[in-house]
Amino acid sequence: MTQTDDPRIGVFVCHCGHNIAGVVDVEAVAKMAESLPNVVFSCDEMFMCSDAGQQLIRDKIEEHNLNRVVVASCSPRMHEPTFRRVVEEAGVNRYLFDQVNLREHVSWCHTRQPEAATEKAKDLVKMSVARARVLEDLPIKTVKVLATTLVVGGGIAGLRAALDIGDRGFDVLLVEKESELGGHVAKWTHLFPADESGAEVIKPLIKDVKAHKRITTLTNSKVIEFDGYIGNFEVTVENLKTEKKQKFDIGTVIVATGFIPFRPYGYFAYGESPDIVTLAELQELAPSDQLLKPSDGTPVKKIAFIGCVGSREPGVKGHEHCSRHCCAATAKAAADLREKIEEVLILYQDIRTYGKGHEEFYRLARRRHVIFSKFPRDAKPVVTVKNSEVHMSWRDVLADRELTFQPDLLVLATAMIPPEDIAETAKMFSLTRSGDGFFNPEHIKLAPLTTHTAGVMIAGASQAAKNASESVIDASGAAAKAVGLMAKGEVEIESTVSHVLSELCSSCHTCITVCPYGAINMDETVDPPVAFVTEAKCRGCGTCASACPSSAIIMYHSTDNQIMTMVEAYLCSPAQLEGGEPQ
Amino acid sequence: MAKSIGNALIVGGGVAGMQAALDIAAQGFGVCIVERSPSIGGRMAMIDKTFPTLDCSACILTPKLSEVLRHPNITILTNSEVGSVSGKAGDYKVRILKKARYVDEEKCSGCGDCATECPVEVPSEFDQGLGFRKAIYVPFPQATPNVYTVDMDNCIMCNRCVKVCEREAIDLEMVDEIVEFDAGAIIVATGAQLFDVSAYPRLGYSLYDNVINAMEFERLVNAAGPTGGHLIRLSDGKVPMSIGFIQCVGARDVQKGVPYCSRICCMYSIKNAVMAMEHNPDAKVWVYYADIRAFGKGFEEFYEMAKARFGVRFLRGRVAEVMQGTHSGNLVVKVEDTETSEIRLIEHEMVIVSPGMIPPEGMSKLARKLGLPMTDDGYIKIEHSFFGPVATKDPGVFVCGMADGPKDIPDSVSAGSAAAMKATIILAKGEE
Amino acid sequence: MTTVEKKEVQAKKEWEPQIVAFCCNWCSYAGADLAGTSRIQYPPNARIIRVNCTGRISPEFILASLEMGADGVLVSGCHPGDCHYSSGNLKLRARLTIMKMAIEQAGINPDRIRLQWASASEAQIFADGVTTIVEQVRALGPLRREWK
Repeated sequence: MTQTDDPRIGVFVCHCGHNIAGVVDVEAVAKMAESLPNVVFSCDEMFMCSDAGQQLIRDKIEEHNLNRVVVASCSPRMHEPTFRRVVEEAGVNRYLFDQVNLREHVSWCHTRQPEAATEKAKDLVKMSVARARVLEDLPIKTVKVLATTLVVGGGIAGLRAALDIGDRGFDVLLVEKESELGGHVAKWTHLFPADESGAEVIKPLIKDVKAHKRITTLTNSKVIEFDGYIGNFEVTVENLKTEKKQKFDIGTVIVATGFIPFRPYGYFAYGESPDIVTLAELQELAPSDQLLKPSDGTPVKKIAFIGCVGSREPGVKGHEHCSRHCCAATAKAAADLREKIEEVLILYQDIRTYGKGHEEFYRLARRRHVIFSKFPRDAKPVVTVKNSEVHMSWRDVLADRELTFQPDLLVLATAMIPPEDIAETAKMFSLTRSGDGFFNPEHIKLAPLTTHTAGVMIAGASQAAKNASESVIDASGAAAKAVGLMAKGEVEIESTVSHVLSELCSSCHTCITVCPYGAINMDETVDPPVAFVTEAKCRGCGTCASACPSSAIIMYHSTDNQIMTMVEAYLCSPAQLEGGEPQ
Repeated sequence: MAKSIGNALIVGGGVAGMQAALDIAAQGFGVCIVERSPSIGGRMAMIDKTFPTLDCSACILTPKLSEVLRHPNITILTNSEVGSVSGKAGDYKVRILKKARYVDEEKCSGCGDCATECPVEVPSEFDQGLGFRKAIYVPFPQATPNVYTVDMDNCIMCNRCVKVCEREAIDLEMVDEIVEFDAGAIIVATGAQLFDVSAYPRLGYSLYDNVINAMEFERLVNAAGPTGGHLIRLSDGKVPMSIGFIQCVGARDVQKGVPYCSRICCMYSIKNAVMAMEHNPDAKVWVYYADIRAFGKGFEEFYEMAKARFGVRFLRGRVAEVMQGTHSGNLVVKVEDTETSEIRLIEHEMVIVSPGMIPPEGMSKLARKLGLPMTDDGYIKIEHSFFGPVATKDPGVFVCGMADGPKDIPDSVSAGSAAAMKATIILAKGEE
Repeated sequence: MTTVEKKEVQAKKEWEPQIVAFCCNWCSYAGADLAGTSRIQYPPNARIIRVNCTGRISPEFILASLEMGADGVLVSGCHPGDCHYSSGNLKLRARLTIMKMAIEQAGINPDRIRLQWASASEAQIFADGVTTIVEQVRALGPLRREWK
């Protein structure tokens, strides 16, 4: 590492409007910071992230010849990239910047304790300044991005993403575990709320994908190993039939593994009669002029739908979310079926026909005399099967009456839930999952398609319950993210990797056994052999550094010293730090 | 394929247009954003917090604003409108009307000396008319570009700003220009506007001071807003202890020509209700709704949190009438609680009407210039919900954000990226 | 502020548990962020130190924290199986188990160290975890007393 001059630290405390300043005494924090060792400038400012705030940092770096910058504002998970860029524009290495989280970790969670919050804020700034003193600059590294995208999942989202990337002139490897492309949409003879069948929607896409010279499709296949880093991933794909394994080098990934419809055993007598089906099963029924009862093949004269089955259940893990697509699909199905069926009933909690044309289906259904009945949230309808007949009873909230109905067919609009193997997929690509069980995007508002694993995008229902049209939009969007990386051809990567000080290495191999990525090997060309890190493979977890019994491993940007100095700054008085006794 | 030009034109600099611009620029193509107002940022810049995470809007938007501003491939034309468009996919000739801003964008440093000097105060559009700005102004602190604009309608030509500007950036004689731009693809990201809720006189908006609309509420609770983030009544400065939010106003209403659901009002009102309780935990907050449409990722969970953790009360019923008391300025909401079939009269100290969205002003004119068909609701018509959800009838013109119908921020962002993808396929063909 | 209130504040200030919290960047730090954005309120006694992975946490960090005067240490990471780095959290768990035994032999109550799993979406679990360690340590009293 290059030697950096004596630390000259600038501390910038952000008000974030009222978000921080409404609780934390930001002026007092900035004033306290002035007295800390090596701090040559300290101030508070309305919005550090604004253009004015950014300019202030650049100006002060120049004015005071700062070589370290601490910004006390929001979560570094939000603005670290912004401020790193700002300091770099003013000639300070991005790794000499440190951010203090005064908002998410202080003002927002200690709202009613302004004094204690201010104390905590001061401590955190002290700790950050202490860390800043010992930060070291690191080289900025770029790596090439291979011009191939791996698309995992051949449903409507995966197909669309593959086609867009192929059309844009990049190569695609499309991996689908089933024997056919098309996912759920292909199976649906009625694609509610659309007017087309699933096949009409999906077949042209499959045809184009198969004919595309830039797209390689592997069906019956699964990604079983995933290694490497942004731009340079190495994947192993196994054919589930032949067990043949193939390795590919790829640059970017789009995970479009979709959802499965919840099979609601334990809900509304599902499974007790063939005449109780899910909405997905209804969509898979063979098209015919007249809907027939699965049990005896007679025409259905009365049909009922129940909404939110396995969705919107507070406190039930994986079932708390709204499944988004079902209301409009149910309204459309009901409106269509009403033309042939005498009585159509929908039991619902809220009608969420939010999308383009959805409200029209809802009105159409009402105009066709589909009966809508709202049931209370805390008293779900009761369904029993007696003498192979389906009996329903529930309380209609709006009429305030107990009602009963005996449908020939009961359709349960069930939740969209993640596929069974989503945990495995998450682990494979280092993705996190949210409460609904689907993948977490990088940012829920402004980065819905990228993830915290650089180079890995998510699209379609793998991100959250959504309908086919929305999945298609996501897919094109995720394709844009992948192409953006590939078109540029190179990307900057983190320099936060570990490094072995060979003179301290005692050849014990401990680091090799703990490294999850096989990034550490022994250099056998020297005697005794010493460990060395393949930086490209290292992802910077630092497990090796803490496991090394000889303290021979440095984890850059997270060194023992950089961590311990924060603990010291929090717990020890300045006198102690000078070698004195605690007071 | 016609000759293509490696530039895209984006009409509208809101969050969808910005995202599209960034994704196109990331591939090395040039982008020009044409924005009608003096700054990019759109509606999102006006919002205080965002659902479902309560992130502050400015905090997450600002980095995008600077990213767009600093990107070497992106040109921003503010105060500008599309004049005319000719040509076809891969080769459009666009004439852009760049209205005089009376301040030289190259020279202005955004220091604000001019505004301090300016003697004219007018209601600020950005603050929904609740606060004031000068006749020379930036709409909001993070405005991008950070360049002042003279509002000629209100300028009294006193020349004080001209004299005080050290950089000699102000030129009150400046005239409109026509900028010609060659684009291979065009993206329509014009966004939408709020329905004018005074069309419902029974709800009291514009009749009673303490009935405000949701965007006014956003500005009232915003720290950079006209009250410095203090939620107070406009009539008497009192902190409202009881607040009612009225849903589905100018949405799902065939009579008012807005038959469709505006998609965002349920969630922004739940968020606003939570923010009202954040500002004043002792307040009683009610939401009057028809259906709660919490359909996006994390939305239903947020709705549950509003009820369980914050104690926001939800009453299912369309509000019949809002009446004002004679002395207190308090309001009485008359509503049928459809779950109990009771007619209720509930007193509030403040009522917030939550407007639906309608197409922006000038949408049909723009659609005509681009030769695009529109939906009955007045939005740009998309080609097909599966085969072309961001495509239009013209193979070189794409649409994203609210321009084709109401959308929340994540859906607008996704659509922005999707439109960028489609546009770059056209642009790249020209390069081959 | 009235005199009575002032006294209360001062009495409290006599001793408040000081907690060092090590959080991994991907799950628990994000969970703590979500606790903030969700406005979940919890005791202000913990100071979070962000590490990429709980696997980065050396036993020395924890021992030194206790030695320097922390009354308790919270370690919060991804759930087993969900580690962003595949298995760093498991390595940490193994270390911590041994370490707890060691400090108990040294006469320090192992309840001063808390290991918890809190994912990026588990804001409440994170906040509850902070409350738990603070209360646990408060019941034990200042660590300095145990040194004697």
